[in-house]
Amino acid sequence: MAKRKDIAVIGYGETKVTLKGGRSSYDLAGEVLEQILNQTGIDKDKIDGLSIAETMSETSNPFWGVYMSEMLGLSPHWMQLNGLGGTSGIGGIARAAAAIRDGLCETVFVLASDAQSSGRNPEQGAQRGEFQYPIGLRGPVGAFGLITQRYKYQYGLDDRALAKLAVTQRNHALMNPNAVDKLQKPLTEADYLNSKYVSEPLRMLDSVMVCDGANGVLVTSTENAKKLGAKKMIHPIGYGEISNFKGAEPLADITVSGFSVAGPKALKQAGMTPKDIRMIMPYDDFLIALVITLEDIGFCPKGKGCEFVMNTDLTYKGTLPLNTSGGQISAGQPGLAGGGLNLVEGVRQMFGEAGARQVSDPRNCMVTGIGVIPYGRNWGVSGVLVLEQS
Amino acid sequence: MSEMKSATNPAKAPEAKKIPRPIPRPNTYMDTRPFWEAARNGKLVIQYCKDTGKPQFFPRPVSMANGKRNLEWREVSGKGTVYSFTNTFSAWPGHEDRVPYMVALVELEEGVRMLANLFNVKAEDVKIGMPVKLYWEKLSEDINYPAFQPA
Repeated sequence: MAKRKDIAVIGYGETKVTLKGGRSSYDLAGEVLEQILNQTGIDKDKIDGLSIAETMSETSNPFWGVYMSEMLGLSPHWMQLNGLGGTSGIGGIARAAAAIRDGLCETVFVLASDAQSSGRNPEQGAQRGEFQYPIGLRGPVGAFGLITQRYKYQYGLDDRALAKLAVTQRNHALMNPNAVDKLQKPLTEADYLNSKYVSEPLRMLDSVMVCDGANGVLVTSTENAKKLGAKKMIHPIGYGEISNFKGAEPLADITVSGFSVAGPKALKQAGMTPKDIRMIMPYDDFLIALVITLEDIGFCPKGKGCEFVMNTDLTYKGTLPLNTSGGQISAGQPGLAGGGLNLVEGVRQMFGEAGARQVSDPRNCMVTGIGVIPYGRNWGVSGVLVLEQS
Repeated sequence: MSEMKSATNPAKAPEAKKIPRPIPRPNTYMDTRPFWEAARNGKLVIQYCKDTGKPQFFPRPVSMANGKRNLEWREVSGKGTVYSFTNTFSAWPGHEDRVPYMVALVELEEGVRMLANLFNVKAEDVKIGMPVKLYWEKLSEDINYPAFQPA
């Protein structure tokens, strides 16, 4: 994806994030589709591609994508299932762009919908039964506990920086009507610091709450967007992704993520440096991930993430607005549709439709994705997307 | 089998009936019998790539170094240091009775890391870099499970 503006994102949709909402992933997806059709005025039959995220709720159905097409009345010429965890949304855009450029389809619905409260959770299997479950490592929480502890040892960890991230995101969520109701209350630094440990040194308020929800964007060629009469468009101009970073190195540093590869790659394609980024919507399953993301992409040197957070205005009015809809930690994580939450906010901001929390001059945005918890390592998938206005 | 399945479903754990601590079933995703047979005799074995001499853990179908299947099991010392650790207050399903419990990422002197529980040490005394040695936890008649304790 070299720097070019031949691909466009022309619409977005998002349901409210709910806790045990009781609606299925299909039903939520239908709401997103309708929003996008209403917003763009584009006829449903123009959609000839589906790029859909795997889920915790429906992935035990091996035909999930085709079922979704049937449910929504779509007949895609091209379909892609994205099993990249929180990277599925931005990875879904990159794959859609490649398919459009190769003539496989013209207009792609990039969809993520997951209602974990409605469905059966698939078993990840592999080595876990023998080498992880008997130990009782608490899944992502435990894995991030290990990463945080090691980070603290190597660089020191300023709890006030984590508290600042928690409070900044919560203040943003209070301006987001789609955020989960349960978290719609103000948060202070003291609340964060007094939050109980779930997997020490990881606190409850470091962590996401798993909810239900769906989101999506509509992607087509810029040429086709004009033909379709798209009212607004922005362009993906750089993308980087890596799975199983340093996978062959048994002693890789667990504080360093694949963003150290994916970040520079995306920025190079976009012809930018971190200083050029107007706002950032980083994947936030745990607050420490934000610190590591900022460092590894190059916003600051390794180990200086907390200092960077303390010295930067990350509010929607600031110099580097961050997760302006509250992030997953304060808006709620819609399961494996979580990666789309911050993506849709980036598109919404760049369309100038973010209401009370609108960022001024939203000329570009970086969105990141994190996915999958491997055995005793940093996270499994890192993806970085740069979007720019026309 | 049904045990393992429900044990891996944290979202449903609170409402679900209490499940026991998961016991590994050897030989599920690949042939791990040499590992569990050695464990029964109090020996820790890990895979080595015979082409490159590099060790790896957990067991895999190919060498992480070169992708070939020229692998062998070798006994290792069981000595290492704590690379990182986390004191777990929110239990993984099946571990509720053990809270709080210590999970560590232990670096063996042979150059691999293992996730494992730490025993015979107070949480406040665990430090990164702390030397540890093997501690075998008997999970069932057949399963000796590798854990660590201060050396």
